[in-house]
Amino acid sequence: MSQPVLPNPNNFLAVALVINRSRDGPNFVFHYPPQVRPPHSQPGQSQDGSPPEPRDADDALLERLNEPVSSLDDPVDPSSSSGHPPPHGWDDHRFTENGAQIVPWEHVAGFPTRDLASILTPGRSYHKKLFQLSLDPLYCVSCPIHVPESGIWKKKKTKKPDQAKSVRTEDAITTPSDIDLARQGAHASSTNGGETSQPEQKDKDKDKDKDRDKDRDRDGDRSDEVDDKRASMTMFNLVFILHPRKYQVKELVATLYLNIIRKVSKAYKYSQQSSDFVWKESKRIIALKEKGREERWKMGTLWTEILSSSSLAASVQDIYEAVSQNRIAALQLDTAAGPLTPSVQIPVPFYVADLPPDGEEGQRGLWLTSANSFISEDSLDEPGFLDRNFALLLMEDERKIIAELQADPDPTTAAMVEFVRLSKPTQSFYQVGQSNVLSLSQVRKYAQHFIFWRRAIAIPPLHARDVYILSPNCDTRRLPRASVEWQKTFPLAPPLTNFLAELSYAPRPYKHFCPSKAHRSTYLLMLAWLMRGGWVTQLCTFAYVVVWPEIQYEVEYQLEAEELRRAEEGPASGTSIPSSSFESSEDPHRPFGDDAHVPTINEQAAEQARLERIAEKTQREAAEKASAHALKVVPTATAHPSVNNAPHLAHMTPHIILDAKKATGKESLYMSAIARRLNDEKLAKAWHGFCKYFNGKSALERIALQEDMKRKEAWTLLTAMSEHLMVVRHW
Amino acid sequence: MIQGIFYARFLLQQGPKIVAQSPPDCIVTPTSVSSSNNQALSPTAPTTTGATTTAPAPAPAPKPPLIDFDVLREYIIPRKAFCNRFITVQDPEGRYAVLGFPVLITHAKYPRNEFIFNFGLVLDADAEQASYERVVRRLAVTFAEMEKQDEYLSQQETEDWSRRGYGLGGCYRGGAGAGGGGAGAGAGAGSSTCAGEEKAIVGGVKKVGGERRPIESLLEIVREDLNNYGECMIPVDDANTINMKLFPHHPPPPLVKGWHVPVAKTKLASLVDPTWDLTLQKVIAHIDGVSDVRRIAFQADVSLDLATLALRHLLRYDVILLLDLFFFGSCYAPRAHGIHDFVADADGMQDECAAYVSCGPVKVPRFRLVRLMTSFCVGKSVMEWIRGHQEDGFDVLRFVDVRRLVQFGVIKGCLYRVHKYVVSKQYLAALATGQARPAGGDPLQKYTDGCHSFDQIITEQNLSDAEIMERLKHLPLPNGDLTVFYR
Repeated sequence: MSQPVLPNPNNFLAVALVINRSRDGPNFVFHYPPQVRPPHSQPGQSQDGSPPEPRDADDALLERLNEPVSSLDDPVDPSSSSGHPPPHGWDDHRFTENGAQIVPWEHVAGFPTRDLASILTPGRSYHKKLFQLSLDPLYCVSCPIHVPESGIWKKKKTKKPDQAKSVRTEDAITTPSDIDLARQGAHASSTNGGETSQPEQKDKDKDKDKDRDKDRDRDGDRSDEVDDKRASMTMFNLVFILHPRKYQVKELVATLYLNIIRKVSKAYKYSQQSSDFVWKESKRIIALKEKGREERWKMGTLWTEILSSSSLAASVQDIYEAVSQNRIAALQLDTAAGPLTPSVQIPVPFYVADLPPDGEEGQRGLWLTSANSFISEDSLDEPGFLDRNFALLLMEDERKIIAELQADPDPTTAAMVEFVRLSKPTQSFYQVGQSNVLSLSQVRKYAQHFIFWRRAIAIPPLHARDVYILSPNCDTRRLPRASVEWQKTFPLAPPLTNFLAELSYAPRPYKHFCPSKAHRSTYLLMLAWLMRGGWVTQLCTFAYVVVWPEIQYEVEYQLEAEELRRAEEGPASGTSIPSSSFESSEDPHRPFGDDAHVPTINEQAAEQARLERIAEKTQREAAEKASAHALKVVPTATAHPSVNNAPHLAHMTPHIILDAKKATGKESLYMSAIARRLNDEKLAKAWHGFCKYFNGKSALERIALQEDMKRKEAWTLLTAMSEHLMVVRHW
Repeated sequence: MIQGIFYARFLLQQGPKIVAQSPPDCIVTPTSVSSSNNQALSPTAPTTTGATTTAPAPAPAPKPPLIDFDVLREYIIPRKAFCNRFITVQDPEGRYAVLGFPVLITHAKYPRNEFIFNFGLVLDADAEQASYERVVRRLAVTFAEMEKQDEYLSQQETEDWSRRGYGLGGCYRGGAGAGGGGAGAGAGAGSSTCAGEEKAIVGGVKKVGGERRPIESLLEIVREDLNNYGECMIPVDDANTINMKLFPHHPPPPLVKGWHVPVAKTKLASLVDPTWDLTLQKVIAHIDGVSDVRRIAFQADVSLDLATLALRHLLRYDVILLLDLFFFGSCYAPRAHGIHDFVADADGMQDECAAYVSCGPVKVPRFRLVRLMTSFCVGKSVMEWIRGHQEDGFDVLRFVDVRRLVQFGVIKGCLYRVHKYVVSKQYLAALATGQARPAGGDPLQKYTDGCHSFDQIITEQNLSDAEIMERLKHLPLPNGDLTVFYR
C-alpha cells in the first residue's frame, strides 16, 4: 500500500497566471510565491530523507551544452540576456554593464517570464483540456481557457437567464464525487446529489443577484461587447508549477488537475464570462508591474501592492498557500457583479486501514481503523447500517464551529448549528436522527457536508466499555505540542504521556481508566480529543466460527445415516427407471419408424443381465456401508466439544468457517448443528441472528448497536457462544 | 513502447521541421515532409530533381499522424531559453506524450550562429516515461557531441541539399577543418548532381571514410530494437556507437537503519560473483535473518554507513527485506487485513507457514497455526504468549520455531511489532518551547522524546533492555518524569 501523493512546498513550487492577447501576444501576468526557487539550487535531500535522483554521465555531458563555447574559434557573444538567469533570492533591480535593467520578477524559476509566457500559452486545441509540459525538472500543469470562437467572452443574453446558474450547479455536482465520499468515510451511500457545499450555495444566491443585475443593464449590452473585443484577451492559463519526484508525476498531476486546477480554471472562466474579471484584473496587475518597473520598486513592495489591490492575485496566493499545505482553498473573487467564493480542496482520507510501511511517514497520525475498509457490499445495502455504526466527531471545538456558522446569514445554517449541538461522538447518526429536531436524512446530509469540508470525521460511536489502545499509527513527533494542548484543554487530567502510556500497557475497557463515575463525561471528552488526533484506536474483537471435531463427526454421521435411510427406501424407484426404459424400447409401436435398431433376443438378455449386475452391486455396497456405519461410534454430545478428545475424533482437525453468513452445504449443516447445541432457545435464535457478524470483519463490539440491543445482553449471548468462536483482536 | 521517434530541426527559412521520423507517418505525413521541402527549396532551385531523389514512395494509405505537429512544434523546438533540457508535453487529447531534448549549439560557423535540433520520442501518455528519458538524453548527448566534433548532423544536411543541386557553400563560413571540407564538398556536389560521384565525396568528407547511415533508418532501428529487445547497439559511424537500454524505474528504497534485521529473499550466495562490489560481498556473507545491520557491519568489518548503503542497494533490487530485532520479551499484535488473510489461508499461506516454522518431527497442523497467530495481542509479550499456550496444553517451543513464526507473521503482514518507547515530560516541554536540545550530557536523553524505539537505543548504545531501564532510572530527572509506552 503506498500513500497518496499530495502537494507540498517541495513538489509544488508556484502558481502563475499567463494570458494571451491578440495584439500584444502572451503576457506573464502574475505568479506566487514571488520568489520561485530554481529547483537546481534546492538542497539535495528532500523531506523524506532519500538522496537526490541519480545522475549519469550523460547529464554531465549535457550540462556542457549550457556552457558558452569559449574554446571554439569564433565564439558567439556570451552576454546574451537569456543565458544568465539572475541569482536566486534577490529582491532588487539590477543593471548589466551595458545598462539593461534586470527586473527581479521577470525571472521565474530561472526562466525569463517572456519565454515562459510564450511557451505557456498553448493553442486552442488545449482549451479546457489538460496541458502538461515538463521543462526538466519543472512540470507545468494547467487547464487553459480560450475565448469562445466568436471572440467574445461574455455569453449572449439571448440564452436562458438561468444559464449562469447552471454553470454553478454543474460545478456543485462534480465537486464531491461519490467516489471521494466513499473513500472519505463510506457515507455516500444514502444520498448523493444532496451535497451542496456552503460556499457554493452562497455562490448560487449571488448568481441569482447577478442575473438580476444583468437583466437590469441589458441595454448597455452592445457597448460591453465592443469593450470585450477591444480587450482582446484570447486566452488565460492558470499554470501550476510542480517539481515532483519522477515516480510521483502522474499521480500528483492527476490529483491536482482533477481537484484543483480544473475547478479553479472553471471558476475563473465563469468570472471572466460574467464580468470580464480575469482581463480587468490582469490589466491592473500588468499596469502595476509596469509602474514598479519604471520606479524600480522592490519585488516585495510590488507584490504587497498587487495582492492588496487585486482579488485575482490574492486568489492565486490563496490557492498556492492552501494547496501546498493541502488545506481547503477558499477563494474570494471580487468581480464587478459581486464576490464569488468558490472553494477547492483535494479530498484527504481521514483514516488508514493498515499500518504504513516502515519509513513512509506521510500518513502518520491518521486514525487507524478497519471500520471503513471492512464494510462489505452487503452491509452497505442494508438500510441503516451506516447510520447505526457511525457517529460524528467534530475536528474542531464545537463552539468555534457554531460561531462560524452563526456568522453566516444563510438560513440553512440554523439547522446546521442544531446538528452540531446534537451530534456527539458517543451517539450514532441513527440516535441523533431519533431526536425530534432533525430528520435522519438531514443528519446524513449535514454529516456528509461536514466530513467533506474536513470539519468532522465519522467514527464508530465512542463508548466507555469499549477498549481503546494507543494507536500504532500515532505520530509521536507531535507529542511536544500535543502535550501542551492537552494540558490546556484538560488541566486536571493526568499528563498526556502518562495517559497514553496507561492505554498502551494492557488493553482494558476505557472506563477502567476513569477514577469515578462522576468523571465519566470528562473522560469521554478526553477520548474524543485523543481520537481526533489519531492518538488512540479502538481495539475490536473479530470472530470466526470454529467447528470442533465432535460437531463435524456428528454432522457426518447424520449425513451417512440419512443416506442409508434413503437408500433403503429407494431401491424400488431406483431400479424402475432403467426397467421402464427397457420396456419402452420393447414397444413395437415406436414413433421412430423402421430404421431404428430393434434389439434381438440375445441383446435383450445381455441388457437384463447387466442391469441385474448393477443392482446387485449397489445393494452390496449399501449393505457394506450400512454395516460400516453401524460399526461407527454413535456421536455423543459433550458439554464442551472443544475439549472432547475421544479416540474417534483424533484424526479430525477443527474447521474454521470464514463467513458464517455465507455458509453453504456442509458448513450450513455445521451451523445448525451448533445451534442445536445451544440449549437456550434465546441463545439459539441469537446464534442465527449473530452469525452474519462471524466473518472476521465485523467487530463484535458493534453488534449491540446494529441489533438495537443492550450491550450487556449482547455480550452475555456472545460469551455463551464463545466455545464455537475463534476471536482475534485488532483495530 | 515507442510509438514514434523523430528528428526535428530548426531551419532558417522554414522554422521547426520534422526532418526524419519512424514510422514514416507518425508526426507528419511523408508527403508533407517532402512537399514542405520542396516549398522551401523552390524559390531558388528547380524542384524536379530534389523531389525524385529523396522523397520515398508515399505509403499506399497513410495513417493519420499520432500528434498534431502544428500544435506541438512550439514544445519540440522551443524558444532558446528552454533548449538544452529535457522537455515533455502531452497532446491535447491526452493520448500521447512527446519526450524531447532540444539541443542548441552556439557557434559562429552556423547560420545565425545557432544549430538547433531535437531527437524525440512519442509514447502513449500512460506509459512509464522515466526509462525513456534516458534514451532521449542519450540521443541528445551523442548527436550533440558528434555535431560538435565533426558536424555529423549539419554535414548530412549539406549533403542532402547538395544532392538536390542546391549549393550551400556560402552558408558555412570557415569553421573547423572538417566543416570547411564539407562546405567545399557541398559546393562541389552542387555543380554535378551525379549519384556515383556523391558517395565518393561523402567518403572524402568523412576522414574516417565509412559509409554513413541516413538518420531515418537509424531512428527506425532505435525504435524497433528498443521496442522488441529493450536495448540497442547501433554503430552510427566508424567511431561512434549508440548503446541504449531501457531500465525500469524504481522508487527509492526505504532507508536502512542500524537496528533493522535484513532477511534474504533469495539465495544471495548463489547470485554473488567475484566481480561484485567488495563491501557488498562482505555484507552479504553475514545476512542470516537474525543479525541486525549494526552487527552485520561489525562482523563484516565494514563501516555502518557502507553496510547500510550496500543493504539499501539490495533492497532496491528487492532481494532482501527488513525486519525488526526479535526478542522474547517484545510484543507483537495482529494487523487487520493480514491476519484475516492468514485465517482465510490466502495463497496457501498456512502450508507455507507450517513448512517454515515447524521444528518438531511433525508439521504443525494448520488449525494450530491459526490459533497461534490469532492469539497474539497488544499488551502480551511473546514470552507470555508462549506461556498462555503452554497452559492451554500446547508446548509451543517443542513444535514451533517461535522466531520464525513471528518473522513469518511480520513478513506476510499478519503481525506488527509493538515497539517500546520512553518519553520524558521535561524533554517534551523543552521541545515544545523550541529548545532543540536541553542541557545535560547523558547519551540517553536524546531518545526520550517518544520517537526512538528501544530497538534503536539497544543497537546504538549497545545496551540491553534491562540496562537501559536501569540507566534511565539514574537520569537526573524529577520523579515520574519518564514514562514508557508501547506502540
